[in-house]
Amino acid sequence: MISPNLPSISLCKCIVYFHDGNSRTFYSLDKTHKRAKPNQALGIRRLEKMLNVRFKGLWETAIIYENQPNGKEIAKYKNGIRLF
Amino acid sequence: MTTETIPPIRPYYDFSTVFMATKAFIDRYNEKHDQLTERLNANHRATAELITRLYAKQLNHAVSLGEDISEQLPGFKTYNPSLASCKGCTVRTIINHKERLKAAGFISKEIHRGKTGVELWINPQVFAPKKLPTTSGNIQGIIKDIKGALCPEVKNLHPLVHVQQEQKKNNNSTVDKFITPEEGVHLSAHSPKETNVTGTVQEQDKNTEESRTSDSKTQTRGAKKMRKNGSDPAFLLQLVRDFWKYARLLLFAELILSEVEENEILNHIWVSVYRKFRVKGNKKDWEGYQQILYKRVDMVCRYLERNPNRWVAPAHLYFSPDNKRNGFNKTYDWYLKQEILKKEIRNQILIQKTEKEWQDHDKGKGKNKHKTRLQLFRIQQQRLSTYKDDTLMREYEKSLQRTLLKPIAI
Repeated sequence: MISPNLPSISLCKCIVYFHDGNSRTFYSLDKTHKRAKPNQALGIRRLEKMLNVRFKGLWETAIIYENQPNGKEIAKYKNGIRLF
Repeated sequence: MTTETIPPIRPYYDFSTVFMATKAFIDRYNEKHDQLTERLNANHRATAELITRLYAKQLNHAVSLGEDISEQLPGFKTYNPSLASCKGCTVRTIINHKERLKAAGFISKEIHRGKTGVELWINPQVFAPKKLPTTSGNIQGIIKDIKGALCPEVKNLHPLVHVQQEQKKNNNSTVDKFITPEEGVHLSAHSPKETNVTGTVQEQDKNTEESRTSDSKTQTRGAKKMRKNGSDPAFLLQLVRDFWKYARLLLFAELILSEVEENEILNHIWVSVYRKFRVKGNKKDWEGYQQILYKRVDMVCRYLERNPNRWVAPAHLYFSPDNKRNGFNKTYDWYLKQEILKKEIRNQILIQKTEKEWQDHDKGKGKNKHKTRLQLFRIQQQRLSTYKDDTLMREYEKSLQRTLLKPIAI
């Protein structure tokens, strides 16, 4: 089961700006199982998969940040292409 | 991510292409000259092909070591006696052939360097500095170039000047930071500048470069464990980073990764490819292993170039220690197979050479015609024993039985 306090335990978050003008924030799932050690790379890969599979063609810009106050940008996507 | 559309990473001199260019060059030259004395015969052609084959090998080796040959090609460094023994003729023949090839414009320049042999520059029509690897589609272009530039102009082509290539250095001075107490060894990613692969297609790493920075205060469990093996941990970690840089350039050129993802891959490589450096070995052993790894990556790269529809798994899976199905570790079997095949072919060639010597000796020809059968046997035995290969010696014995017992049976 996905933890209810995901925003406080996730290592990174993804802000997606959709074509229809909406924007939404998604928090990463960084564990393979409940007691696993959090793996940030896994979280990033899962967010990327979400963007490229689940929301394919629906968004214009997506940015993955560290889930901290003033967290720096980890990755940026524009129209399905990763910029950095 | 699939690697179906791998962009060309580094120049590669494919022998078949060079061979075609050589053939076209000599054919055109012969067409221009009617007199037999001026033409290049089959023997000259064979020498030219031998030179191109060895030169291509030398250039490819230089490229794999990170030399930048895109601007100017280094000369073909060789020795007349070694060429002679490769071709199975005398040194004088090689010298004569070289003279003929020089007159024909195939060899554009030759420098004698005394003890260190000779250095040859081949006509740029055949060996041109290039930034892209040669593909089969280029053959027509090369042939067309040769057709266009034949005539007397061939001799006046600008000579290639040999310039000692500068090796690029990896200025990684932050090796201390790669070791953290939690994971034993934690590998830092490359700096963001280095990870930007898209702009640096031509960049080759320097494989043999080692980092000398080692701070004893930051030594931790993992590092101490590695020191027990007799190698500097900084050096070993540099191997991992060099390997990833090389593999990334060749196999995952278009991949964009964040620092975290790259760290994960480096840790995977450390576990799966280097077995956490638990195997005992000194610096030289590890350098040897590193060279084998580079060859394995090259093999994968060539495989992908040959089969555009094939792909390798994404980097984090390809180097994952849990990936038993399509991981990098499987290429070790390829490598073994290739090496065994190479050895077998080498043995065959050596055995053929000895048989030829026996035949010549029986006919009273060749350089060993004045030697007795026992002397010839000793010479051959000594030569073959330098390879330290038992199978070779067994095959030699068999071939001796075949060749020497035949006249008695008749």
